[in-house]
Amino acid sequence: MKFINDVIECFANPKYLSAMLEGLKLTFIISLGAAIVGLLLGTLVALVKISKSTSPWMIFPRTICNVYITVIRGTPMALQLFIMAFVIFAIRGFPQEITAIIAFGINSGAYVAESIRAGILSVDVGQTEAGRALGLSNSVTMMKIVIPQAIKNVIPTIGNELIALIKETSIVSMIGMYDLTAAAKNVGAGHNLASYIAPMTVAALFYLAIVYALTFAVKKLERRLRSGDKR
Amino acid sequence: MISVKNIYKNFGDLKILRGVSCDIKKGERVVIIGPSGSGKSTLLRCMNLLETPTYGEVWLGEKLVTEPDPYLHVDVIKTSKTFASLVAEGMSEEEAVKKIKSEDLLKKHEGKEFKKALKAIHDENHQDINISRQKMGMVFQHFNLFNNLTVMQNMTLAPVQLKLKTQAEAEETAAKLLHRIGLYDKKDEYPSKLSGGQKQRVAIVRALAMNPDVMLFDEPTSALDPEMVGEVLDLIRELAEEGMTMVIVTHEMGFAKEVATRVLFVDEGRIKEEAPPAEFFADPKDHRLQDFLSKVL
Ligand SMILES: Nc1ncnc2c1ncn2[C@@H]1O[C@H](COP(=O)(O)OP(=O)(O)OP(=O)(O)O)[C@@H](O)[C@H]1O
Ligand SMILES: [Mg+2]
Repeated sequence: MKFINDVIECFANPKYLSAMLEGLKLTFIISLGAAIVGLLLGTLVALVKISKSTSPWMIFPRTICNVYITVIRGTPMALQLFIMAFVIFAIRGFPQEITAIIAFGINSGAYVAESIRAGILSVDVGQTEAGRALGLSNSVTMMKIVIPQAIKNVIPTIGNELIALIKETSIVSMIGMYDLTAAAKNVGAGHNLASYIAPMTVAALFYLAIVYALTFAVKKLERRLRSGDKR
Repeated sequence: MISVKNIYKNFGDLKILRGVSCDIKKGERVVIIGPSGSGKSTLLRCMNLLETPTYGEVWLGEKLVTEPDPYLHVDVIKTSKTFASLVAEGMSEEEAVKKIKSEDLLKKHEGKEFKKALKAIHDENHQDINISRQKMGMVFQHFNLFNNLTVMQNMTLAPVQLKLKTQAEAEETAAKLLHRIGLYDKKDEYPSKLSGGQKQRVAIVRALAMNPDVMLFDEPTSALDPEMVGEVLDLIRELAEEGMTMVIVTHEMGFAKEVATRVLFVDEGRIKEEAPPAEFFADPKDHRLQDFLSKVL
């Protein structure tokens, strides 16, 4: 009974509720910002990696992209976050939100890049050949034929990346940021409540709701894109 | 129309084409036959540079499709450092050129003069590959219609993107062509809704919508169910009657006999025999061809 009362208290007590919503807002901002950075960066890196150009101008960017993906995927997110916060952006007054968005954006970019690359490679080469044989340039063939088909293949995996990203943002409390997870911990430590289980449950419900909504949106999008051309 | 000059194609250590030359003249219908894996598709794909030949040149009319091949230009060989050093060793010019050609002695860097000579040939004759390809329609074994586009969009994408036609003009041409093959009512369908034969016919008119000078067919009926082969062959036959220049790789011997003006037998990366169809099928000279024909006829 106390548990249920405490949960209600989390919503009913404006002090607790606003603390939780404050945390939720930060989680939301970091996730959204990082998702945008990650998608843009990931697309760019995927395109560089996929390009078959043998021009010496491409060797350097390609090497950078390979190193980037290897390093990001081979080291823990928390460490990457610490390096951003305590080394690269260890500047007094630099907004922590930006630090977090960049750290998570760079991290998810590496994963997004690999799924986009796989998505592009999964499109039959015959599609590219038909485009090029008609005299279309490589970039037009990519933009009009390959990428639209790749997007369909990639949306479920990108959706999963974004879901993982949202959950992973909870580690920002480790650099002292006040996200949803941190808020739950703080509320739980409060004098009146003195119980962790209720605010933790509430935070879990918030996370679940976001993840569920996102899953639903991805499914819907996927279905809409597929309705046109079943293969 | 298309001139293939001494083409070699290696995939790694595999030597797929080993010196193929042929001329395809306007109005000719050249059928290429040969055993599986002999390099027929590779030869066709070298013509529009879907494969880049390792050596040799492809010309479309007066225009160079590939990069110039120094081995085909004696004056260029003579500007090379290798040539200079052979001559300095006391070899005659003629011998030096011959040695360089037969032993593939040209290296990547042969000096400024050599580079300049090659570039001069390039600048004078080379045409952007995307322009050359617009004039060579290609039809693939697996149709390769754009899955994300409707039949109509498949037909108008390239002419509009390449600014050859406005959207309205492109749609008008496409409508005419679709009416011709009796598939106008499918114009808003996606390729997945079409049968194999319908897909291939759309693929053919998609290529025709570019108004090409020559059509390349790579086994256009091999991936079709038997009952659909006829409709596709009929369409190709019609194009033949209209005088379209064509290069066709096929295993349909009856069709080859009927539609070809000339038949090439490709085997082991070379053209082993070429003749008008009557002679080609009645009186094959090459042993491998006799063997091949006895199996497929
Ligand atoms: N991209 C490639 N990389 C490596 N090997 C290749 C490649 N393309 C073709 N080959 C090889 O080259 C050989 C000739 O291929 P090609 O497709 O030209 O034969 P083909 O005469 O068209 O045969 P088929 O009648 O089976 O179509 C084959 O052994 C094939 O495996
Ligand atoms: Mg083939």
